[in-house]
Amino acid sequence: MKRDHQETICGGGGGGVANYGRKSKSGKVECPSMSSSTTGKGKMWEEEEQGDAAAAGGGMDELLAVLGYKVRSSDMADVAQKLEQLEKVIGTAQAQEDGVSHLVCDSTVHYNPSDLSGWLQSMLSELNVPPSASTTINHLQDHIQFSSVDDSEYDLRAIPGVAAYPPTYVPEHENARKRIKNSFVSEPATTEVSESTRPVVLIDSQETGVRLVHTLMACAEAVHENNLKLADALMKLIDLLAASQVGAMRKVATYFAVALARRIYGIHPQPPPQDCLNSYYSDMLEMHFYETCPYLKFAHFTANQAILEAFATANRVHVIDFGLKQGMQWPALMQALALRPGGPPAFLLTGIGPPQPDNSDALQQVGWKLAQLAETIGVEFEFRGFVANSLADLEPKMLDICHTESEAVAVNSVFELHRLLARPGGIEKVLSSIKALKPKIVTIVEQEANHNGPVFLDRFTESLHYYSSLFDSLEGSGLAPPSQELAMSEDYLGRQICNVVACEGQDRVERHETLSQWRTRMGSAGFDPVHLGSNAYKQASMLLALFAGGDGYRVEENNGCLMLGWHTRPLIATSAWKLATTESQ
Amino acid sequence: KEKRPKFCINDHVDILIEILKRLDGRSLGVAASVCRLWCNITRNDSIWEDLCFSHVSPSPPRAVRPVVVALGGYKKLYMGCVRPVQSRLGESERVGRAWTRDVEVQLSLSLFCVDYYERLGGGGGGGGGRFGGDASASSLMFLCKPVNV
Repeated sequence: MKRDHQETICGGGGGGVANYGRKSKSGKVECPSMSSSTTGKGKMWEEEEQGDAAAAGGGMDELLAVLGYKVRSSDMADVAQKLEQLEKVIGTAQAQEDGVSHLVCDSTVHYNPSDLSGWLQSMLSELNVPPSASTTINHLQDHIQFSSVDDSEYDLRAIPGVAAYPPTYVPEHENARKRIKNSFVSEPATTEVSESTRPVVLIDSQETGVRLVHTLMACAEAVHENNLKLADALMKLIDLLAASQVGAMRKVATYFAVALARRIYGIHPQPPPQDCLNSYYSDMLEMHFYETCPYLKFAHFTANQAILEAFATANRVHVIDFGLKQGMQWPALMQALALRPGGPPAFLLTGIGPPQPDNSDALQQVGWKLAQLAETIGVEFEFRGFVANSLADLEPKMLDICHTESEAVAVNSVFELHRLLARPGGIEKVLSSIKALKPKIVTIVEQEANHNGPVFLDRFTESLHYYSSLFDSLEGSGLAPPSQELAMSEDYLGRQICNVVACEGQDRVERHETLSQWRTRMGSAGFDPVHLGSNAYKQASMLLALFAGGDGYRVEENNGCLMLGWHTRPLIATSAWKLATTESQ
Repeated sequence: KEKRPKFCINDHVDILIEILKRLDGRSLGVAASVCRLWCNITRNDSIWEDLCFSHVSPSPPRAVRPVVVALGGYKKLYMGCVRPVQSRLGESERVGRAWTRDVEVQLSLSLFCVDYYERLGGGGGGGGGRFGGDASASSLMFLCKPVNV
C-alpha cells in the first residue's frame, strides 16, 4: 500500500492528489506520506517535496495542504520523527494498559489540528517523551483522533487552480454595459477577475443566466454612476431575463432586482420593526430559516461548545445574549450544563432585544419558556430581559454583574455585531462595554462576507455572490417548492439583500464583514482569540451530515475559528475571544 | 417419546425483558404487536434506554436518565432523534468520519431538548407565546424529511 501511495504522489498533478485522497478514507490517521518518507524511499519523496514546496506559498507542503494539514516542507523529517515517537509511546502505554490511553480517547480536545507540528509537540510534551531516535513506523493506531479536515479537501473543487475542476464563473463588469446595449447574441467572455469579486459556481450556467448576472451588474454600475435612465431601461431587461430562469438563480435575481428598483426609485424600506405585524413576521421568517437550513443551528452549537468549555468549572454562570429572539440557542446549552460531570451550575441568562411596537414583553415570554425547561431538567435558572434599540445604548453597570470568584460571564452575539457598524463609534462603545463586563469568553458568529465596503458596486457584487451561494444551498435542502418554509427562509434572506442594496447611512444595518476584518477589530480592541476545539468541529460536521444536501455543506477550521460554507464558499464564521492577558487585571 | 415440560417464554418475564432489551428499533416495534404482554413490556421506557445508549461506551452518566425522562422519555428520544440521526448518518457518504458515538449522543440529546423547548406552551401573559405549543413543532423536521442522497 505504501508503494501505491508513492506512485500516486510521484504521479503529481491534481488527479494524482485526488486519488491519493480517496484511498485514505478509513478512520486512520491520514498521513501515510509520513510513513513513506521513513521507509527508505524517503529521500526521493523529500526531493519531490522540495520541488513542490517551492511552488507552495509559505514553504508549506502543497500536497498535505490540500488534505488540510499545514506542515512546512523543512519540518517534514522532524514531524515524521515525532509521529514515530508518539506511536511508540502510545504502543508501549497500551501494552502496559496505562492511563496514557485517556489522552487518545474521544474526550480529548484538539486545537488547531491542521498545524501538525504544533499538535505533535503538545502531545509529546504531555506524554513527557524525551527526544530520541526511533524505529520505522508501520502504521499509526486507529484510535488517535485526528480531526482532519473533512472530505471537502478530497473534492476536486477544493484543489486550487483550474487544472482539476472547470473554471468557475467570474463576472466582469467593465464591458458588460456596452455588450448588452449592442447585441444580445454575442457570447460573453469571462476573462478578467476583478479584485473585489470572488468566483462562485452558479448552478444555472445557461446563456440567459450569465446574461442576467451581467445585466444586474450593469444596472448596479449605472446606479453607481447615477445614470438612472439607463438603470431604468436595464431593469426592464432584468425582469424579462429573470422570468426565463428557474430555481435559485431566478429567486436571487428577483430579490436583487427588487432591491435595485427600490434604490433607483427612492423607495426606502423602513428598517424593521416598524409595526407589530412586521416584527412578528420577521421573527417567523427567522424561525423558518432556523428550521430549513443549518446556518443558525451551526452558529448555536459551535458557540455553545465554546461557552461550555469556558464554563467547565464554574459554579455560577452568566450568559449575556445580544440578540435573544426566540431563545433557540439556550435549550441545548442548558441540557449540556445539566449533564455536566459534577452537576449543573446555576445559570443566569440576560437576554437583550428590541422594543416591541405593541408593548408586549417578548423577552419575558421567552424567559418564561426557558425557565420551564430549566425546571424540567433540573438546572437552577434565572432570567433577565433588557430592551434596547441598539446595543450601543447599553451601559455595563445596567447589567449589574456581580463578580464573585466562582461566577463566569459569557457574552454571545449571533449576527448582531455588524449592525453596530452603521453608527459611528457604535462598535467601539460596545466592545469596551464588553470588556468592562470582564467576560470569560465572548462568542461571535458573523456572516463571512464584506458587504461594508465604501463603493456601492463592490458591495453589490460581493453580495450577489454571497446570496447566490446561500440560495443555492437552500435549493439543495430537499424541500420541494412550493413550500412555505422554503419561501419564508428565502424571504428572510431577501430582506437582508434589500437592506444591503437599497439602504444607506444608518438604515443600512446589514454591514457584514469578513472574519479577518473582525479579527483585526477584536485584536486591536484588546481581545485574544480562543481556539474552538475538536468537539465543536465534530458536532458541527455531524450536524451538517444530517441535513439533506449535507454533502454540499462544509465545515472548515480556520486558525481556531470554524466556518460553515456551501461547497467552496465559506458563508458564516464562529469565533471565540477572551480578554487579552494584559487587560484582565 | 418423553414429554418435556412445556416452556413458555411468557412465564419468564425477566428473561423476556432481557431478550427484548437487545432488539433493534424495528424489531421492537414488531414485538409490540405480538401479544398484550409483549406490548406492555415494550411500553416500558427502560427498554428504549438500552436501545439509545447500548452501543455507547462508556455508558452515559447517571444524570442523563432524569433529564431524558423529564423531556419525554427514551422511546421519544429514540423515535424522534436517535433513530433518524443514526439512519441519516448511515446513509451519508462521509466514510472518514471525525465524529464518534459520543458526539452522536450529545447531538441527539441537544436536538431532543430543542424540540421539547419548541413544543412548550407560551408564556404567562400576552398573546400566549408566539410559536410555542404548536403540535407540529418543526425543529426536527429536517430529520424526518427524506434525504436525496
